[in-house]
Amino acid sequence: MNVADIANAIQDTDFFTSMRESALVYPIVLSTHLSMIAIFGGLILLTDLRLLGATLKSTPPSEIVRRTRPLKWVGFLVMITCGILLGGAKFASYYDNPYFIAKMSLLACVGIHALVFRRSVYGNPQAIDDPKGPPRAAKIAAVLSMVLWVGILSNGRWIAYYEKPDQYPRRAEPAAQVQP
Amino acid sequence: MLQINYDPATNPLNNNEWSFPLFECIHIAMFAMSVGTIALVDFRLLGLTLRKYTAAQLLKATSMWTLAGLVIVISSGLVIATTDPLSYYYNPAFRYKMLMLVLAILYNYTIHRKVAMSQAPAAVNVLVAGLSLAMWMSVVFLGIFYAFT
Repeated sequence: MNVADIANAIQDTDFFTSMRESALVYPIVLSTHLSMIAIFGGLILLTDLRLLGATLKSTPPSEIVRRTRPLKWVGFLVMITCGILLGGAKFASYYDNPYFIAKMSLLACVGIHALVFRRSVYGNPQAIDDPKGPPRAAKIAAVLSMVLWVGILSNGRWIAYYEKPDQYPRRAEPAAQVQP
Repeated sequence: MLQINYDPATNPLNNNEWSFPLFECIHIAMFAMSVGTIALVDFRLLGLTLRKYTAAQLLKATSMWTLAGLVIVISSGLVIATTDPLSYYYNPAFRYKMLMLVLAILYNYTIHRKVAMSQAPAAVNVLVAGLSLAMWMSVVFLGIFYAFT
């Protein structure tokens, strides 16, 4: 059993097959997946802009980081759930799609980003609420956050445009073909 | 059938592999920015986030980003539509999308703005914000359903 077999087994489960073949469920899940970046992207953008000192300057950035966090999690969980449904339904053609791999890697980078900047930015109100403005680390974190999310949505879109170089590799000709 | 004196095959977007998806990415990133900043005000009207601010403060803080996003999302959308104008024109999902888009923009700059800038009763805020979220989500949904109809 290789990776391709596992990927096929996943998308061939009854659940993912019906998901893939449904004329209505698939586009609804896809639309929901996409709406989440539209509905909850504003929270991310506002946080990043505040860390860059571009908006709402009268309030400490830590306040915005803290207050927007619960809603960001809601959007993230809905998005991931829809993403798993979409990815599972077509996993055999996704697992070796370079754009899918890039998207998943960037998503992992979002997690790493959160861990790396927790001590210096997101979990450090004293540093980011400095009256002189957020420190350089906060600005780097904000720019990286925007770059990562644009990268994720771009790679996500590009998944659909990838064609495998040779989807049906030719097998070696059998030694002797007996015609009936 | 509508006839237009234009051959989509001459469109540069139909003649290389990367420009069409590139415009789609710009389109998606910019509706994330425009709708996302509108939704932020809606979440405040619903009382779900940043209660330290008034909806009016959040609207003022984000209105420039909303407008910039809307301008770019519509421009990139027009570019995308040039790749096959007639198929968009005759697609019912696309027609509903345009209708909802016009309604959502009008709503955003009239009722939505007026309510966000004033101290309206909570019930009014919830209704106005809910309708705003529903309208903008329907635009996104119809954009996807274009490809499935």
